[in-house]
Order: sequence, then structure tokens, then C-alpha cells
Amino acid sequence: MKTRRDFLRTTVLGASAAWTVPMFVERTFGQLHEGARDIAIQPVTGKDDTILVVLQLAGGNDGLNTLVPYADDAYHKARPRIAKKEKDIIRLNDHVGLNSSMPFLGSMFKEGNLGIVQGVGYPNPNRSHFVSTSIWETADTSNRSATGWLGRYFDNACPGADPTVGISFNKTQPEAFGAAKNPGVCLNSPELYRWIHGGGEKAQAEEFFAELNQPDDHADDDMPADGGSIAMPAGGKTGGIAGEGNLAFLERVALDARVSSKTILELAAKHKTNVRYDGTPLARNLNLVSRMIAGGMPTRVYYVSHGGFDTHNQQANSHDRLLGQLDSALKSFFADLKQQGNDKRVVLMTFSEFGRRVAENASAGTDHGKASCLFLAGAAVKGGLHGVHPSLTDLSEGDIRHTVDFRSVYGGVLGDWLKAPKMKPILGAEYPKMGLIG
Amino acid sequence: MLPKADQTWTIFEAAHLLNRAGFGGSPSDIRNFHGLGREKAVESLVSPAEPLDAFPLPEWSSDEQVAEDYKKLIAGRQALRQQSRGLSPEKAEMAKREAQRAVRREYREREAEARTWWFRRMLTTEAPLREKMTLFWHDHFATSVQKVKQTALVVRQNDLFRRHAFGSFRDLTQAILMDPAMTLYLDTQSSKKGMPNENFAREVMELFTLGEGNYSEQDIREAARAFTGYQINRATGTVTHNKKQWDGSNKTIFGKTAPYDGKGVIDLIFTKKETARFMAGKLWEFFVYEKPNAAALDALAEVFQQADFRTGPLLREIFLSREFYAASSIRSQIKCPVQYSVGLLKQLEISTPPAGFPITSGEQLGQVLFMPPNVAGWDWGQAWINTNTLLTRYNLAGYLTKGAGETEKVMASEKVRMPGMKDTPKRAARGWDGPDYEKIAPRPLRENPENLVDSLIFRFFQGPLPEKARGPLVEYAIAKKGAIFTNKETAELCHLMLSTPYYQLY
Repeated sequence: MKTRRDFLRTTVLGASAAWTVPMFVERTFGQLHEGARDIAIQPVTGKDDTILVVLQLAGGNDGLNTLVPYADDAYHKARPRIAKKEKDIIRLNDHVGLNSSMPFLGSMFKEGNLGIVQGVGYPNPNRSHFVSTSIWETADTSNRSATGWLGRYFDNACPGADPTVGISFNKTQPEAFGAAKNPGVCLNSPELYRWIHGGGEKAQAEEFFAELNQPDDHADDDMPADGGSIAMPAGGKTGGIAGEGNLAFLERVALDARVSSKTILELAAKHKTNVRYDGTPLARNLNLVSRMIAGGMPTRVYYVSHGGFDTHNQQANSHDRLLGQLDSALKSFFADLKQQGNDKRVVLMTFSEFGRRVAENASAGTDHGKASCLFLAGAAVKGGLHGVHPSLTDLSEGDIRHTVDFRSVYGGVLGDWLKAPKMKPILGAEYPKMGLIG
Repeated sequence: MLPKADQTWTIFEAAHLLNRAGFGGSPSDIRNFHGLGREKAVESLVSPAEPLDAFPLPEWSSDEQVAEDYKKLIAGRQALRQQSRGLSPEKAEMAKREAQRAVRREYREREAEARTWWFRRMLTTEAPLREKMTLFWHDHFATSVQKVKQTALVVRQNDLFRRHAFGSFRDLTQAILMDPAMTLYLDTQSSKKGMPNENFAREVMELFTLGEGNYSEQDIREAARAFTGYQINRATGTVTHNKKQWDGSNKTIFGKTAPYDGKGVIDLIFTKKETARFMAGKLWEFFVYEKPNAAALDALAEVFQQADFRTGPLLREIFLSREFYAASSIRSQIKCPVQYSVGLLKQLEISTPPAGFPITSGEQLGQVLFMPPNVAGWDWGQAWINTNTLLTRYNLAGYLTKGAGETEKVMASEKVRMPGMKDTPKRAARGWDGPDYEKIAPRPLRENPENLVDSLIFRFFQGPLPEKARGPLVEYAIAKKGAIFTNKETAELCHLMLSTPYYQLY
């Protein structure tokens, strides 16, 4: 199988050596789509494909005040100040309810479009934000993998796809996108996602720009080129390609930016919505996701974050507010998708690096814990509660024990939703099916 | 000890040292620095002549002003309460919100002032390594004003980092324990006997000293008890240890048992050899390259321990080592946004940046001073670059090289809207005409496009560019020359040079 880079080289770059050739970016996408059709990996517009939106709750979401075991005495005993009373929740069954800051998710649950997976975690959990986030993003509990679970999906199940197969709306590339071949792209404002020349003779300048931002044919040789290139193993923790030197890395990103910028710019300008979104960064980014989807991007995975969940101190108000922002952003997003007619194509999954300790601390907050719950939202989701709610009395160092391995959740969305043919190269093993989709 | 570099040193090596141990410079800065010779050049960095207080701190960060502000805050709250008595609940709520907005506005103004203050200091200081170390400590003991809120406290922390730039890492860690910004950031002030909060204990070991894997969960729990009782006095902006809130019973940490307090735990941490190794490695990665070999790391850790954790001797060792000037080091690192922005201004010989530029560039490129994303600081290296930030770097270079007029014209003619950046380009570019090209590219130089390109290559890259990059640049310059090579065309050539992957390396 050709790598995306080989592919680009032979079909496009080979022809654009001199500045008499028309501007590179103008032609790229047409040719990419031609190529894509040849190897039958995705339709030109991506219009019929399923889409996964990954939503990170950064900082360690308190699962016990999200999906509240209100009927459990141990819960109230462990959290005298911050426990939610029965009247403060949206009751889901006789044991648990949703935090009442999430009325939209409550109604989604009742309509059967929200799946809540309980007690998600992994063996020998790590309480460091950074290590545990890394474990979730790489799906490697030994924290040694240099690639991410989504990057391995791009590499293994989307060969030949252009770089927009994955789009992150973070300023930094998520570790989950770390890949051997195609780590997706990252953007903030679509309107500024391009090279602005701002001078005379634009076409000429842009041709030179293209030439200067073209990957070096020998960048893979690991040879220092006239002091300009120093091969150095990458940390692999940055969303880059594992083992790639810094210059080769920069050249690849420059190419990816050029290849993706024109299309993204056009699409972003096209779609208008009359759905109102909040001004939070999360809502703004989900709005961008919906614009990309409406415009027909061939993107399979979008990645957004919602931060602030490290609630060590006076948790109650801030945690409720964060969940409320989440709920409101999702409400706008799903309404927007419905209006576009794309609601059946999208599944959204939340995750967080860990849950919090069962007992509250002296500051009316919670310290780093272990297992937690996560949400799967969308028309295709099998609604309801999945897995078993962990015991609040049989604890591991003050934390609930996980009852579901997060990799079996990944396995579900990869296999049943994103149609990855094989799980082993992506997750390292096959995990039992949970029936989360359909 | 690491193998030492030769006596002779090239101008490219001088540029490399000035880049890494500072923020680079103009061609004449580099020539002057090279003239000192290697040893003296290193000494000028490690023992700078510029006094610590060469740039007065913003006046609102003084002791008096912090106390004054606190009094004002309390008085404001009381006045608001009095006022609200006669009002309906809705009106009272509105008055409260208005008061909060005013406070937040002041915070934001001070944050902007603090950022600009430090940025300008980095740009114009004659002690660049001291500022670089301050940046290093700011990333290492990361604290965000977003949570701390009182800008005065993060500015004072910044001053603390500067004072400890070349001093003992142990003393600095002890000072961090008593630092109000860190106390607020990691919730130490609410950690009390009987109900300790583990935040500080964990980060001290994992991120600040030992590194992941060199302690146990049990060590964290025990240390958290030792770190109880530290309280902040908001009126004075100081931290004290309240023995009544401190858990004074025995703790067992790293197998040793005693009634430790916070200071005791930190002393204990510094008896572990992993601490010297962890920090020596981190400094090497910051200044040289990632993943040093084990032998080099051993030698460095040894130097660090013998210097009683003083960073000055360690930095001297690094900057005099042969490895620092090796091909694997020179132009191998990706510039962080601060390095990118400050360095570019220096290369373009702009001593007063366009208004708003220090703030805009940080926001757009992903390194907002006083606002690292989390307690682990920023992710470095390749993490600075993605499709988004790379294009933004290219476009910021466009603003700087071409001036406000050109860029605004393009924005207007192509009807580009800029969400979340509405007034920033204007703010950044207000009255900005671009650099002085008569100085950067004197007219006679423009007669020969090849010489012009080579001169600009030295200015921007401080070393030869591969022919595949130099070739098109020369070709472009020849095509542009036409009848006369104007400033506008020079600016376009510069922008093109800066819009390359190579320019991101240093």
C-alpha cells in the first residue's frame, strides 16, 4: 500500500517542479479525490459516511456527580457537602440520575439517543492528568505508544485519505491523532486557515510559496541536509508522526496545511445556520464542526475539548456550570445537525482522563480518582445505561473500580460505527462487543 | 564533565549560542557576540552585568499596592452590600454583576500589561539568558493567572524566577512552597489536617522534582499530609504555615519516617539522586535537544549535584560542551512562539513592536505568557506546530514584514472575517509601517539578487539553506528585481523566506 506521501508525490508534486505550473493548491483536491476513488477508500464528498466526534472533558470529570447514584447511602455519606439530592437530579432509574445541569442530555436519554457507559476505566489506573490522558489518547495502558488510537485508525482503515480525515479544533494536535502516516489536521479559525500573501503578483508569490513548502524528497533518509535538516527522534507524544525528524515534520505539516486550506476555507464560508450557539469555546468549536459536516468534508473524526474539570476546590458550582455548558453546546449542535439532515451520520463520544475520588476533600472538592462514566450521543447510539454501576463500598484506594475497559468502548465505535475492518492493528487486541451502536 | 568544545568558534556557533541561550539577534549583534570568543560569550550570559531591577515591575505589583487593592476590594464589597439593601433582588444581582465586571476588566488590563512588560523585557534585555531561564521556570513551575486571578501575584512569581535564574533549584522549590500564586493555583491553601488535598504533593514529585515513576502513591498521600496548613494572607499576598491546620503526626516518605512539614518533604526530595537527573535532563532538552544519551545525562546530573543544584554552573557546562555545537544540535529545535516572535523582531531590528503584537502573537501561536495550559506547562517541540499554527506563523510574518496597510487591504478585498480575532490584526498593526528596509537591505546590496538573498539568509537562518530552498529564493529575487528593487519587493522576499519550514527551526 502506498503511503499518502508517496501518493502525493507521484500524482501531484512530480508535476509541479517549476513556477510555470499553475498554483499547486488550486488543483490538489481534484486530483486527490481522483486518487481516492481509485483506491476506493471514501467518496468524493464524504456525504454518506459516518462521523465520530470525540469530546474531551479535560481535567478529570467527576463521574459520580455527573451520573449520580442518588439512591446509594454510601454516596451521601462520602460527600456530605457536594452530594446531589434526589430532587436535584434527572432520574434515570431507581439507582442513578443525571446531574440536573444537563436537561438536554436528559431528554436525549429518554428518546433513546443517549448511551451512558458506567464505570469506564483501565487496569492499574494512573492518577496523573498527563499520564492518564496519554493512556486514553494512545489506548496503551503501559503508556509507551508513540501513536494515538485515532491516528492508528486513519493509518489502518483510511489509506490514501487526505489529511482532513481527522480535524481537531484544539490549538494543539491531540495525542490521539498521533500516526505513522496521517495525523489529520488542526485548525482554529477557518477564515484564517491559509497563507495570506498581501502584495502584488499574487500567483507568482504563491507558486514560490508552494515550492518552498514542498516536502524534501530525501527527508526520510535521516541525513542532515546542508545544516538545514537534523534528524532527531520525535517524542511521539505530540500528535506528530513517530520517529520523524523536525524538518521532515515541518515540511509535512506545511504540505497538509496547503492541501487542506482551500477546501476548508470554501466550506466554512458556505454553510449558514440559524441555530444559536453559546459563546463558550466548546459551543464555538461544535459550531465549526457542524459547518464542516454541512459543507461535505470527507472527515471521519472531529476532536474538540472542554476543559476545567480539575475540581479540587469548591466543586459544586463550577462542576455544574461545566456540565451545563456541555449540555447547552450539545443541544445546539444536535439541533443544527438535524436541520442539515446530518443527524443520523454523527455519533459523539465524551471521555475524561479519570473520575474523582468517591469522598469529597476538605475544600469541598474532589481529588483525582479512577473510573468514571462516559456519554455516547446520536441517533445511531443504542440508548440507555451500559455496563454496571461500580460499587461505592468495594473501593480501590478510595476509588471506584472500573467495570468496563475504555478500549472496548473504542472498539465499539471503531468497529460498529466507523467500520474499521480489523481491531488488532488499532487497539492491539480484540475487545468484547458491548452493543453500543444500533 | 562533558567533553569541551574547541577554542576556535565560528560565527554560526556564536549565532547558535545566542539563539538558544537568548532570543537571537541581528547580524551585527551576532558579530559583536562572536568577537567575545566562546568562553567570554558564555560568561556574559551566565553572569550578566545588567541588574535584576533594570526593568521596574508594574507598580500595581508592589506590596503597598497589593494591600491597597485588597482594602479596596473589601470596601467595595461592603459598599455593595449596603447599597443592595434597598434594592430588589434583581437590581441587587445586577449591581453585583456590574461590580464583578469592573474587577474582571481591571484584571484583564493588568494581564495585558504584565504580558507586554515581560515580552518587551525579553526583547530588549542585555541579560537574555536570565529571561530565558525565567521562561524556563515559568514553564516548569507553571501557574496560570486564569486561576490565580491576582495578576500582581503572578508578576511577583515571575520576579522570583528571575532572581533564582542561576541559583539553587532547591531554594527555588522551597520558595515555591511559600509562593502565593502557586498556593492558589494548586489549592494548597485549603488543604488541612485530617482532610489533605493531594494536588501540590503530587505535582511537586511528578512534575517539579522527581519525575513520574520515582515515587509511590503512598509517598504522595503521606506528603499531602505534610503539606497541610499552608495559608495565604490575601491582604499581604504572603503565605504562612499555620501549625494548627497542619498534620503534625509521623509520615513515612521514601521509607523514612518523621513528622515532616512541607519544607521537610522538599529537603527529603532533594536527597534523592533522581531529582538532579530529572532536572539536568529537562534543562538539556530545553537548551539543546530532546532525549540526550544516558552518559551525557549522567555527567550533567553529576555536575548539577556537585554544584548543590545551582543552575549557573550547569548552564556553563552545557554551553561550553562540544555536544551543544554538534550538527545534531544546531538548527534542530522548533522555536516556541516566544522565541519565534522575539527572535523575528530582533532579526528585523524592530525594538518597539507594533502595538498589541506581544499579546496577539502569543494568543495566535499558542503560548500566552502567564497562562500555560496546565500545571505541566506547555508541550514543546513538535507540539507547537500544526497546520493551524504554522499558517498563523506565516501570516504573522506577513504583518511584520509588510506593515499594516497591505495586510488590511487583502483582508478587506477578500472579505475575510476573523472570529475571535476581530480587532487583533488592527491592534497589532495600528500605525505599523514595517521594518526599516533601507537598513536591513541597503540599496547597493539589491543590485545583486544573489548577494541580497545570501545576506537575508544569514539574517534569518544564520547558516546556509539547502539549495532547494535557496534556488527558488534567488530566482524570485531575480524575477522581482526588474527595473528597481523597492522596499515593497524586499518585504515580499522576506515574507517568502519566513514562510518556510526552515524558518521554524533554530
